[in-house]
Amino acid sequence: MKRRDLLKAAALTLPASLAPGLLSSPAFADAATRGKLTIWLGYPETVDAFKLAQAEFKKTYPNVEVEILTFELREFEAKLAISVPTGSGPDILALHDFLFPRYYEGGSLDAMPADLAAVVNDAKVIDTPFKNVVTRDGKPWGLPWWTGRNAMFCNLDHLKEAGLSGPPTTYEEIWTHAEKLTKRGPNGELTRAGISLRLTGPSGGTQKFGYFYFQLAGVQMLEPGPKPGTVRSTIKDKIDAAGRVMLDHVEHLHGPKKSDDWALRHDAQGFASGDASMFMRESWVIPFVKKNGPNIKFSASPIPKGQHWGAFNLIEIMSVNKDSKLKAASWDFIRVLQNQAMLNNILESSGWIPLRRDRDYSAILAQEPRFEPMINTPPGQTQYIEAPNTAYEETTTRMGEVIQTAFRDASIVGNMDAAKRAMMRTHDAAVRVLKDQGIYAE
Amino acid sequence: MGSRVQAFRRTVRRRHLLWVLCALGPVMALFVIIRVYPILETIRLSFFRYHPTQRNRPFVGFDNYTRLLEDEAFHTALANTLLFCVLAVTITLTLAFSIALLLRAIEKAAPIYELLLYIPVVTPWVPASVIWKWIFDPIHGVLNYLLAFVGVTRIAWLQDEHVILYAIVMVTVWKMLGYFVVVFGVGLRNIPDEVLEAAELDGATPWQRLRYVILPLMRPLILFTVIIATIIFFNVYAPVYVLTASAQGAPAYDLKIVIGEIYQSAFVFYRMGYAGAQSVVILLFVLSLVAVQFLALRQKD
Repeated sequence: MKRRDLLKAAALTLPASLAPGLLSSPAFADAATRGKLTIWLGYPETVDAFKLAQAEFKKTYPNVEVEILTFELREFEAKLAISVPTGSGPDILALHDFLFPRYYEGGSLDAMPADLAAVVNDAKVIDTPFKNVVTRDGKPWGLPWWTGRNAMFCNLDHLKEAGLSGPPTTYEEIWTHAEKLTKRGPNGELTRAGISLRLTGPSGGTQKFGYFYFQLAGVQMLEPGPKPGTVRSTIKDKIDAAGRVMLDHVEHLHGPKKSDDWALRHDAQGFASGDASMFMRESWVIPFVKKNGPNIKFSASPIPKGQHWGAFNLIEIMSVNKDSKLKAASWDFIRVLQNQAMLNNILESSGWIPLRRDRDYSAILAQEPRFEPMINTPPGQTQYIEAPNTAYEETTTRMGEVIQTAFRDASIVGNMDAAKRAMMRTHDAAVRVLKDQGIYAE
Repeated sequence: MGSRVQAFRRTVRRRHLLWVLCALGPVMALFVIIRVYPILETIRLSFFRYHPTQRNRPFVGFDNYTRLLEDEAFHTALANTLLFCVLAVTITLTLAFSIALLLRAIEKAAPIYELLLYIPVVTPWVPASVIWKWIFDPIHGVLNYLLAFVGVTRIAWLQDEHVILYAIVMVTVWKMLGYFVVVFGVGLRNIPDEVLEAAELDGATPWQRLRYVILPLMRPLILFTVIIATIIFFNVYAPVYVLTASAQGAPAYDLKIVIGEIYQSAFVFYRMGYAGAQSVVILLFVLSLVAVQFLALRQKD
């Protein structure tokens, strides 16, 4: 062997022989327990639980500075999309279920430690539909932490005033209750909505329209395709159900059954101000209305049934950025978030429902029993989540635009064919985007 | 002697060129980095399918441009923006010119009125739009309350798809009027008094003085304001976003406009390449609009 080759061999083998020693050296250990751990949140109302966890985490990692930044949801999504691929994203990735595929497919997620993977894989701890969201090739890549599960919220004073004995329990009762709860002014203009429907904001509009659709169709408008990441539209196959839901909406926005109006304040704000008697939303409504409408007496009950019965879930997943310099510490922070105190806090302060079934929420339920239908699944109710895909926002936005344009079309009243045509246009809008993005499944 | 003078001149010229390069170089470099490069990069991006979180970013040729031809949302946004632009430019400039003319008659008090009209211009778009959002509230808003006195029934200013565009025109005119009043005011003050007096002595009526003296002299300024207003109003976004946004349930962007579509494509759908194609088309569109205006209003010799 020549002298140059010897030197080459030494240069190659020396670092390899030193590596184990280096990795266990104080300097390396220091790098894993010192520095800044960043967390970005798109749901600022959950920050208290993170701050609580931060205090606990600091006991183990006194030299790790934890920076928690909150953003408006869309801004958060944009910041993640730009920063994570360039290696400047946060250490902990708090991802909604529809964002998760984007970062998994982009190769941005760190492999999960075995103990946390075991938690996700245990059906007694995490329900299988939620495990499936984060699982690829049999391996989980994040911990489903909380869900936004929907329910029917009713103003109890309005129910009493209308002579109704309780919240609607069936799909049909939603509409009959809405008609009875609606109030009109002297000119016939609506002064109170019997039900606050989602009339603007196309992406959310698709989701809320889906609350009704599921109860009649038994599936969502967009379901996962056979190949992971692909999506199929069910509207064409379930056109009778789709047409029915569209017709019911339009007939309660125009004509004698009119129960809602664009001019009224909507959603949680409308409900908290008494402008709406009923609406369907997720569990966060409970603390929101308590804070913003303290005089409103309201109930939270399971979503009314149709031929089928399902509750929508929006999942928040905790993953670690592959580019993080504090991966072990980040996973430890996620472990701390699983403590009872943090889970109680997330439920109590933000109203999002923790997904761990091996924890006891009775203390919070005793204080706020309205969480009951969302924490303890009513027997027979299916839990569903939207089909995770990389074109979620675009597909739901374009579908929602068609749906919400049809809402404004009074000529659909009493015309099932026109309602079905509107839903077929919604189907076409979905298919167009899905095909264009290469994730369409027949 | 002559050759020495020539050599000196050459040195001065060289140094002058060097001086010009040193003085303008950094500014030009900044201009290229901040202005030219992003435009070129946008044009380049428009030929790719580019999603920031995806590794595969294939070249797609003119696919993004072909897709634009079938994009109904973009067509609606373009039509809305054009209508908005025509209304906002016409109303703002007509009102601003009329007010500036009136203010010329009360020259001493004019600065006070100009200052008052200018306050909305310096008010940031977001707080201004939030205030207007309350004014437009269909149930609790002051506008509907006042209109009720004259028998006008409830108008859903920001919720009715047929009204929302006009409501936003109203806010934009209120916001930008002061700027154009000041610009026209400066222009009118620069018209020599002798010219107007001469016209008056020749027996010209106020209308004739306006038609045959003031307007022709103001032509270059009118061209400037039309172009500036067109560019400003074509890029409208903040008031549309804020006025149609709601904390819960009714997210922003109920009125489609081109900048909103570009933003949505880029930062909601993350179709950077497609957003690039939309931007290039809008750039060409506005440039041609400005060119047409320039040709129509330019000073004839």
